[in-house]
Amino acid sequence: MDLLPTEEQSEIVSTVRAQLGSDFDLHDLASADGATTVVDAALWNQCAELGWFALGLAEADGGIGYGLVEETLLFEELGAHCTPGPFLATVLAAHTAAAAGATDLVAGITSGTSRVALAEAESTDAVVSSTSVKGSFRLTDHGGADLALVLDGDRCAIVLLNGAAVKTEESIDLLVPLASADLDTSPAAFAEDPAIGLRATVLTAALLTGIAKATAAQSTEYAKDREQFGRPVGSFQAVKHRCADMAVRSDAAEQLTHLAALAVTGGHVDAAFQAEAARVVAGDSAIANAEVNVQNHGGIGFTWEHTAHRYVTRARVWSTQAGDRRTHLRSFLDQPAPA
Amino acid sequence: MDLDLTAEEQDFREEARTWLRENLPKGERPPEGAEMRDFDLAFQRTLYDGGWAGINWPTEYGGRGLSDIQQMIWYEEFASADPPFTLNNSCTFVGNNHGGPTLMAKGDEAQKAEHLPKILRGEVVWCQGFSEPGAGSDLAGLSTKAVVDGDELVVTGQKTWTSYAHVADLQELLVRTDPDAPKHKGISWVICDMDSPGIEIREIRTMSHVTDFCEVFYDEVRIPLANVVGEINEGWRVAMSTLSFERGTAFMADQVELAATIEDLISEARERTGADGRPVIADEEIARRLATARAEVAAVRAMTIAGISRTARTGMPGPEGSMIRLFHGELHKRVYALALEIIGAEALRLTQVDGDGVWTGPYLQSFAYTIGGGTTDIQRNIVGERVLGLPRQ
Repeated sequence: MDLLPTEEQSEIVSTVRAQLGSDFDLHDLASADGATTVVDAALWNQCAELGWFALGLAEADGGIGYGLVEETLLFEELGAHCTPGPFLATVLAAHTAAAAGATDLVAGITSGTSRVALAEAESTDAVVSSTSVKGSFRLTDHGGADLALVLDGDRCAIVLLNGAAVKTEESIDLLVPLASADLDTSPAAFAEDPAIGLRATVLTAALLTGIAKATAAQSTEYAKDREQFGRPVGSFQAVKHRCADMAVRSDAAEQLTHLAALAVTGGHVDAAFQAEAARVVAGDSAIANAEVNVQNHGGIGFTWEHTAHRYVTRARVWSTQAGDRRTHLRSFLDQPAPA
Repeated sequence: MDLDLTAEEQDFREEARTWLRENLPKGERPPEGAEMRDFDLAFQRTLYDGGWAGINWPTEYGGRGLSDIQQMIWYEEFASADPPFTLNNSCTFVGNNHGGPTLMAKGDEAQKAEHLPKILRGEVVWCQGFSEPGAGSDLAGLSTKAVVDGDELVVTGQKTWTSYAHVADLQELLVRTDPDAPKHKGISWVICDMDSPGIEIREIRTMSHVTDFCEVFYDEVRIPLANVVGEINEGWRVAMSTLSFERGTAFMADQVELAATIEDLISEARERTGADGRPVIADEEIARRLATARAEVAAVRAMTIAGISRTARTGMPGPEGSMIRLFHGELHKRVYALALEIIGAEALRLTQVDGDGVWTGPYLQSFAYTIGGGTTDIQRNIVGERVLGLPRQ
């Protein structure tokens, strides 16, 4: 039993981190604010070439052959950099297509030639089945997408977006394009599998964990640099203790998310318990840390130029996708206790 | 990264489960006095005879020399065996988790040979003499003085918040041996015989009605110099070695037990009917708070395993342990505060602080979890300064 990353896993993390640091700088990305396609084709293809969309897919399915643990580490970094782009929809779509045996789809998605938006039902009467996808759906990252991954608990459908009436809306997060669409189509691929639902839950927890970690680090760094009353504000207990609480929340989210990824990977009986727990803790940690981070930065934290607000709105976006907090809490309370 | 137990660890779990089923005392733990002491020591002896004392103590000191993972498995099995008492709520706690480990790290051979076997066999009760009326969070500001006289120290002063002093045989005692040195450099860590002439013990009643909390007065108490652990005036460093152990596994039992507690509370909320005639858990707010607390308890377990993993790699528990203690202490309080809302007017019936299906006593006791062993404010300072590297005040 060991909950820390192996050397190989740490290398994956530092490679991803370096790439995100140079290509997904939040200040540079600000020029894409409000665009319907935030990550351009060249950058998206580069992510594909790095193998990020196929990282946890078996080699037999055209993937790299790592698993959910490595995907989790990747998504944590994506979260920490507040990275825009339909990463969750893409990775889930690749797994859905592989589960459905749709090898062409897998190849298109993992190579970046097909772009996948995320679609979730906005009405309770929406249908997501092997034969039909019908109803009102909320889309994110629809710009440039030819496909949508329709996520409904353990059910995942891939649908073609061609011809669908997609209505772009103002988004709380200008780097996560938002739209609504009425869909009435039959899926190009469909899978109903608790493993995919759990993957969506754990990877969302990983994105949220990334936010919790990055905002804790951002606040700590600022508290060391920023001086008032002739000394760093981090020397004052009021600030220091908030930073300590952020570190604790971040560690809670990180360790539990890693444990959940392992439990799901190993098919443990408590996999759903741990995944739901991770999703709850990571969501609460991300929102609390992102919000306190603004406070810790004072006036500069309230400006558009500073990146603190990016984490606030992204935490809201990610903590709503793949099931909101209330849905997960209810489902978690129904899980049997681990033996 | 893996969650796999080795074959040896799996066997250990089975072995622990079987043994606990057959050997766990069935009766309630007597809440106070000599009966309590006898109960705790007898149980320690039972553990020793069964091979469950000092699980992660080195074999050279009579322990089993097993890993922290196995220590955690033991706590998990103990908690799920539905015991009528909790492991850390025992007058054997200081010996097992403070005194013993400190002697192993810093004691001389004679001290180890004299004391460690007695701790393991349940023959002796240790208590802690650290805090003073004027030295709480600022522990190094302690002023109980010890003057060298021949081959003895003569101790005069006062200690407080000493659990089980009234039933203890020995005390890990911090005294000021050099009043002129900087405050961290004039302290010594000594073993004090609680039967020494000049010691007076007064019980302090706590908000949870427990009276095993004490203050201890020293009036020219003579302690052999041979009882100094580590060098004289090096006591702060010796005390810190205890603290690092504390950050490691000392509170793991509490952390593991909270997992059983939250499941009991969920059952309580399912079975109990609220004022509106529905099961309490049908209340959305209660359900969400229960689910949130349950998820946070799961996080404590993950943090504990991560802490064990870190210690296994570095050989020493790091300051990250303060993060677990901080998170756990506040969560423990939240769980019992929630319990009182769930049981409604039943909360008015005072119960013991420990035992099966009781909530009111443990709620009152829960306030200790963010004060004892370093308040949460001090834990936050440690996290801020030693984990995050923020400047001191």
